[in-house]
Amino acid sequence: MATDNANANGFGEVSRVRGIVFEYLSLGASVFGLVALGVLLVYVAIDAFDLANASPEWLLTYFLTLVVPFLAFCLYSASDPTVTRRALGALGGGLVAVAALFTAIEALVVPIPRLNWQLAYLFVVAAPVTAYLAYVGSGGRVGAVGFGLLGRLVGGAAVGLAVGTLFLVFDPLLWFLAYTLGVLPAVGLYAFGRRRSTPRARTAAAPVGLGGLVAAVFLREVIPTYPSDLIIYLWTVAVPVAVAGALLVADRRGRVAAAAVGGVPLAAATAGGFLAPGAGLPSPTVLLVLVSIGVPTAVYVSRVVDAGEGLAGLGLPLLLAAGAVLGALIVGALGFPAPDPWLDGSFLTAAPSRTPSDAGLYPAIVGSVIIIALVAVLSFALGVGTSVFLEEYTPGTGPLGTLTRILQVNIANLAAVPSVVYGLLGLGLFANLLGLGIGTAVTAALTLSLLILPITIISAQEAIRSVPDDLRRGSDAMGATRWQTTKNVVLPEAMPGILTGTILALGRAIGETAPLIMIGAATTVFRAPDSLFSRFSAMPMQIYTWAGFPQADFRYGVVAAGVITLLLILVGMNGTAILLRNRAERGS
Amino acid sequence: MSNTTSDDSLITTEVQADSNDDSAAPAAGTAVAARNLNVYYGDEQAIDDVTMEIPEERVTALIGPSGCGKSTFLRCINRMNDMIEICRVEGDVEFGGKNVYDADVDPVALRRKIGMVFQKPNPFPKSIRDNVAYGLKIQGFDGDIDERVEESLKGAALWDEVKDQLDSSGLELSGGQQQRLCIARAIAPDPEVILMDEPTSALDPVAASKIEDLIDDLAEEYTVIIVTHNMQQAARISDRTAVFLTGGELVEYDDTAKIFEDPEAQRVEDYITGKFG
Repeated sequence: MATDNANANGFGEVSRVRGIVFEYLSLGASVFGLVALGVLLVYVAIDAFDLANASPEWLLTYFLTLVVPFLAFCLYSASDPTVTRRALGALGGGLVAVAALFTAIEALVVPIPRLNWQLAYLFVVAAPVTAYLAYVGSGGRVGAVGFGLLGRLVGGAAVGLAVGTLFLVFDPLLWFLAYTLGVLPAVGLYAFGRRRSTPRARTAAAPVGLGGLVAAVFLREVIPTYPSDLIIYLWTVAVPVAVAGALLVADRRGRVAAAAVGGVPLAAATAGGFLAPGAGLPSPTVLLVLVSIGVPTAVYVSRVVDAGEGLAGLGLPLLLAAGAVLGALIVGALGFPAPDPWLDGSFLTAAPSRTPSDAGLYPAIVGSVIIIALVAVLSFALGVGTSVFLEEYTPGTGPLGTLTRILQVNIANLAAVPSVVYGLLGLGLFANLLGLGIGTAVTAALTLSLLILPITIISAQEAIRSVPDDLRRGSDAMGATRWQTTKNVVLPEAMPGILTGTILALGRAIGETAPLIMIGAATTVFRAPDSLFSRFSAMPMQIYTWAGFPQADFRYGVVAAGVITLLLILVGMNGTAILLRNRAERGS
Repeated sequence: MSNTTSDDSLITTEVQADSNDDSAAPAAGTAVAARNLNVYYGDEQAIDDVTMEIPEERVTALIGPSGCGKSTFLRCINRMNDMIEICRVEGDVEFGGKNVYDADVDPVALRRKIGMVFQKPNPFPKSIRDNVAYGLKIQGFDGDIDERVEESLKGAALWDEVKDQLDSSGLELSGGQQQRLCIARAIAPDPEVILMDEPTSALDPVAASKIEDLIDDLAEEYTVIIVTHNMQQAARISDRTAVFLTGGELVEYDDTAKIFEDPEAQRVEDYITGKFG
């Protein structure tokens, strides 16, 4: 259709002002929160690591020996000239900009407390650039290998420490019996059944295992002598982990490689375990940490060598370690004034104290780790169970359907109940009525599980509901029972979503203080809990207590160190869970 | 849908292609029989007093306009309607001489003897191997699973395309391949009857014709009951055709050749020549 000249000036204009205003307001709102939190974390980190007292020479030394090689590694991995140019531009331009701006503000407006321009540069420019380059670098093969290896080293150490911590509370002797009589025969039968495809052996595995566990509980008191802890850990943890690692490799690379992957870390861990007392370290923990670092690392290295790509990435941990050592040597030789961080080895391993410099978080860390482990297991099991029941087993109509809907609404309401109320419930129900004891770890774990249960249930329900009905009908039509459909189709498909919800909920549980106060958890304990029924303290409780101490060193240094520790453990826990979830996603 | 293009030439050619099968085939036994079957969704009647016998090792097509109850009828056979809470079934559906709605029939056990393929391909988010082995695993099959997987994939004309990627996800296949995977999954536990609910309506014509060829082969071993919207498809692949019309009424049920060539009822003729529906 031909039009006249009416459109010669275009088609007129449609106003977008409101949309643009909305867009920038939203951006501003989200940036404001992030910046505020970022500034807080910067100050907390400065306090915890005493960076305010770090001399510029000290900072420069470590920047050159640690950060610059890392950035170079990332750039090498990315091998993209544009990225290199941009990164160098940002680092150089940022240096000038931050120095100028900082000096100008200090001179003209207001002095900025406990910061100098070098630190500001580190936090405002160097840290984001490093994060960005790490992200870009991980896209390259070399970088992926390097970060993969680094992740296994750090993650392995964390898992080893966590398992070691759990054995402080759970009786290793009972575990020794349960493993020997129950777990090992059951796994053996199952593996035998799969290999020979004899279903009878496979179905026998569960009852045999259960029988073994029951026998273990009874025999625990009867048997008078046990092997030493080190032997128990070697037999029940180190050997199976090494065998699992070897089996993973055996398929692809043959027996020699498998023996090396399993055997070398096992030998190193055993040696470490026996030599540890000489260095004043607890030998079981050393054994566990070495095994949980060594075996995954060995499997990973073998896999990378097998693939033959990005081998240079395997040097990343070495590069960082060499940088740290070199930095320490230079600082020592030239006598640069070094900071005296609050967050150091002794803070993590010492008991609380009235003197700030002696204060440690160890008992509270152990308490928190144990509680979180229990909460994770309890809330996951209860949450998944409840949500599966509500979504898959209850009818949508009729009187039962109405009942289900009432349940649903109430669960949603429970999510909004304040945590002190749950604390009161824990005090009344678990501590007093069930007699689990005031301020014990098991009371705390049960209370916190109840607290996060609604969140877990609701998110698990969402995840289960998002599984397409087509899949359920497909499974039903194959003649699957409801349980088979749920177990084989619905849960695997919903697992990533369920794990996401559980991770978020656990993050809330680890930081809760109010319910712990209500159930009478100790503000400070001086010994790590050694059973589920001993008095304990948790990290947030301890930090809160320190914040009320009169000495300034407590309020600034020790509290900051505690906060950083809490955040690091939280990030580590979430990281592990996210890895698990991603694996579940890839598996499906 | 496609019946708007129907003309006499189409129908006659198809019928000729099919009629020689029929004449050569000996009289077959009955696989599934419905007797005075009535189905209601709440107050609404979906199937109105249907009585029919479906022969063994033949392809039987159920055609009719949307909402005529043909899918409902299909789901009565393996009791998938049990999943719909407001659904109520009266009358008998006999499978292997036994009324599947008798109190002593376990619907789960029944479904293990009757395979089903849905309109939209719905492979499980598992590997191709695990998809095909699914029925075997849940039924506790203790033979050589890998061998059965290979047989079933060959039976579904998919083996050559996927034999090198049995461990990759079933969702990575194309739509037509996914549907053949679903067929392989359905035949793996060796059912007696395969129900297909518009198995090609979500596929492109090339993929659809592969499935049609496959259905022809399947009828050598299995009883196939297929719901389709596509009249040419019914004419091409089926031996017997049942025409359902609005209200869940079975208007005519006869040899496919007869239905398409010379239907008794005027309504059926109007429907298959595209005057309505």
